[in-house]
Amino acid sequence: MKNFKNEYNKEMIILPIILIIIWYLTCDLFQLVPDFMFPGPTDVITSFIHLIVSGKLFKDVLETIYKVLFGMLLASIVGITFGILLGWSKRLETLCKLVISILRPIPPIAWIPFSIMWFGIGIGPAVFIIFMGCVFPILISTIDGVHRTDPVLIEAAQSFGASNSQILTEVIVPSSLPYIVSGLKVAIGIALMCTISGEMIGSSSGIGYMILTSTNLFDTGSTVVGMLVIGVIGIIFDYIFTKVQERIFW
Amino acid sequence: MTFEIENVSKIFVSNDSKEEVIALKDINLTIETGKFVSFVGPSGCGKTTLLRLIEGFENPTEGTIKDDGEIVTEPSNERGFIFQHYSLFPWLNVIDNVIFGLGINGKPEKENKKRAMEYLESVGLKDFAERYPHELSGGMKQRVAIIRSIINDSKSLLMDESLSALDVQTKHKLQKQIYKICQEENKTILFVTHDIDEAVFLSDEIVVLSRRPGTIKKIFEIKLKHPRNRDDQEFKDLVSEITEEIAEFEDD
Repeated sequence: MKNFKNEYNKEMIILPIILIIIWYLTCDLFQLVPDFMFPGPTDVITSFIHLIVSGKLFKDVLETIYKVLFGMLLASIVGITFGILLGWSKRLETLCKLVISILRPIPPIAWIPFSIMWFGIGIGPAVFIIFMGCVFPILISTIDGVHRTDPVLIEAAQSFGASNSQILTEVIVPSSLPYIVSGLKVAIGIALMCTISGEMIGSSSGIGYMILTSTNLFDTGSTVVGMLVIGVIGIIFDYIFTKVQERIFW
Repeated sequence: MTFEIENVSKIFVSNDSKEEVIALKDINLTIETGKFVSFVGPSGCGKTTLLRLIEGFENPTEGTIKDDGEIVTEPSNERGFIFQHYSLFPWLNVIDNVIFGLGINGKPEKENKKRAMEYLESVGLKDFAERYPHELSGGMKQRVAIIRSIINDSKSLLMDESLSALDVQTKHKLQKQIYKICQEENKTILFVTHDIDEAVFLSDEIVVLSRRPGTIKKIFEIKLKHPRNRDDQEFKDLVSEITEEIAEFEDD
């Protein structure tokens, strides 16, 4: 049982404020860095207001989150199902082990050429890349969770006459849940990275696309807005999963 | 007659060295319905192994174990098992832990909860029904584990050093509760312990196992009347007699 309670607290705000002040002093007040190299906070705020008013930011954010969640959903279904099966059956795990070990280190981005050929343009390639990036951490942590099920709990269930399928649903699945959730927490970060990189290569929408096009137009303010928005989305997802982890304490 | 153990031997083969360890050798024992039988012996004598074989968690290398005439091959709801370290399901609260076995066997939840509350009340845990295992003390956890097994109406109850991790006061209290519940429900109890005092306090029979390979050294019938008094000379004599019986093996 870990204590997640202290992961978010008030003191954490201090460093960001100091960094923003330094940023303001160097880029805006003393103009030590030219705008096209890195914009100051006022530039970023102006771009931010612009993007909000035009509704563009909202649309891109929604688009990106949609892809992330869609890819995550598919990766979770496949990763958790196969994770439980492979964790449960030693033979199946041995059978699949080599394939998983070979596919796992391939960076999801390497799948981009094929994904465009297979799924054309639109959200298809992005979802595929997210899937490839997320399925392995979810799979591996689910297998790990199943393996770490206390054998005594399985025996306790057996002594009540539980069948194999009851042991699976009543003992192994709940017991692996904390591991599955920490796998999902890792995966959602990867999903965000995959989405942005995917959008920068084979897409015409989303935050990644926005970052790329704004840089091409020397609108570095919008670029930084895009980058910060990714960070904020990441924090929100992380916070949600941390809250879930607090609730499943075993 | 509940249990017939015939010529049972158990050999473990270690995974890496392929070395054979004979845990139990030629065990013959008959246990009658409703008896409280304790197994004692030096550590590593195979008493826990014997209990696990009787439950069906493992199968004997040789010989057979019968429960009411049927050969034991796998665990069954007819034989409740209580572990040394409680083994409550950490994701379920107390009452859901208690009704786990009933749910597995398809009994209706509402009735189960009502019965569970009665049992919880009888061991003074009524107010803890909604708590989770990590919020309970060791003694409370073990009471929950005991109720969780008893509520299933299994014919027998197998307890593997179930009280050994508790402090003396809690232990004595639980011993009385176990004895009371078992008297009321006429269950056969098999009780593995290293605590001779506990064995004499509770048992009708005490089976002394020898050092590995475990064989039955001697069976004591305890005829003292219940409730037993630890201060009785007879009680003390029995405890020291059995302790000596075991100490013989510890020496060499």
